[in-house]
Amino acid sequence: MDHALLDDYALNSPLRKKNNKLKLALVAAALLVGVSSTSPVAPLFIALTMSLAAILLGKVPARFYLGLAAAPLSFALFGAVIILFFFGSGPEIFSLEIFGQRVGASAEGAKMAVLVVSRTVSGICCLFFLATTTPMVELFALLKGLRLPDTFVELSMMIYRYIFVFLDVAVKMRHAQVTRLGCDGFRSSVRSFSMMAGTLFLRTMDQGEKLYTAMDARCYDGKLSLFEEKRPIRAQELLAASTYVTVIAALAYLSRGTSIF
Amino acid sequence: MEGFLPHPWWEVWYVLSLPVVVYGIYRINQLAKERRETLPLLALAGAFIFVLSSLKLPSVTGSCSHPTGAGMGAILFGPAITAVLCLIVLVYQALFLAHGGITTLGANVFSMGIAGPAVAYLVYRGCTRSKMNFYVSIFFAAALADLATYLVTSLQLALAFPSATGGVLESFGAFGTVFALTQVPLAIVEGVVTALIFKYIIQVKGDVMVRLKVIDEKRLGKLKEMISA
Repeated sequence: MDHALLDDYALNSPLRKKNNKLKLALVAAALLVGVSSTSPVAPLFIALTMSLAAILLGKVPARFYLGLAAAPLSFALFGAVIILFFFGSGPEIFSLEIFGQRVGASAEGAKMAVLVVSRTVSGICCLFFLATTTPMVELFALLKGLRLPDTFVELSMMIYRYIFVFLDVAVKMRHAQVTRLGCDGFRSSVRSFSMMAGTLFLRTMDQGEKLYTAMDARCYDGKLSLFEEKRPIRAQELLAASTYVTVIAALAYLSRGTSIF
Repeated sequence: MEGFLPHPWWEVWYVLSLPVVVYGIYRINQLAKERRETLPLLALAGAFIFVLSSLKLPSVTGSCSHPTGAGMGAILFGPAITAVLCLIVLVYQALFLAHGGITTLGANVFSMGIAGPAVAYLVYRGCTRSKMNFYVSIFFAAALADLATYLVTSLQLALAFPSATGGVLESFGAFGTVFALTQVPLAIVEGVVTALIFKYIIQVKGDVMVRLKVIDEKRLGKLKEMISA
């Protein structure tokens, strides 16, 4: 299989055994602190600590982790370049000539660009931490506990189940097409892709009917019940988590308005 | 992208998206009461959108990109339900593939799950009413949905990071031009691909379209004749 999903790591993670509510609350707090911080110091600290936690405590291979971060980072840098040139006023720090037009970057723009990239990095690291330590299956029980509508949670569960089934089907069809020169050139790629997607859609619809019949035969009445393992929060875990949140919040508050330059 | 939108903009997009999603869930509940097979069918459609959006679309310049699949969802199930499916798909993308994010979820749902599908639905409806060719109207619906998504994304970025000299409009222009380089060809490819997908579905098993009330029996007969001719 050529798609490595984060969920595979979550299922084997040593941190899986910890209380899910605690993990979710910790990540939510770190996300909020990161996004509302006005200096890059706190977000970068969060990014560093979350990555270390995922790699050292969660036993995610470091190389895989870095590869994962590369894709979203490139998008963030791309956006940051635009901000660098168009945002903010003040003294210009450097300028370029593009197509005869002078484009300048101000100090304020540079500050903003660094801040945005650091916030993005911290957010991505928080998400990675959650994704590599908490299997989706266990989040469903949590979602039900949060009183989200039943239909919504159930729809999510069924979508989750079938994502993997159809990813396999799609990858198999793709291999079959590639080995038969289906992706030789642009025109045939477009044709093959549409054919594959069309077939995939029909398969999903057929499967949907089968799923309904199967569930109906087992007395499905619009509610799936879930089993939730009880994992009490230990006092020292709670203490560690709240210390961490206090530290990052304090860091964000104390470093407000400062910049790296 | 996670953390990209500053306070208060990420909250604003959450607030704007919420009513549509709530309405979508209400619609799903209604449909599920009427016909109990709705929920499994919609779930499979959601899985389809996820798989479609995690596959790479053949692209002109060799850069790879991801189809949104939202235009297709809107034509098949209507915009409100598509918004709910998109929300779930976007959460999974954030958690499995680290695309998108949780703080920017509101903004992403608004651009990909609400603006895009709404445009697709309106365009498709308009084209059908003006008796345009079925595949041409699907092409326009999917391509314009893609463009709408990208314009709304540029607008979201521009509102959050207005330019010092020209304000929101100038940075909208800047973000827009940069994205246009990749998004305009992509929108065209996605339009073509979506139209072809519909063609294959009608060729192989057209009655699915009738059951989803995308077209009626008479139209299906005509389309099938056209293919075999």
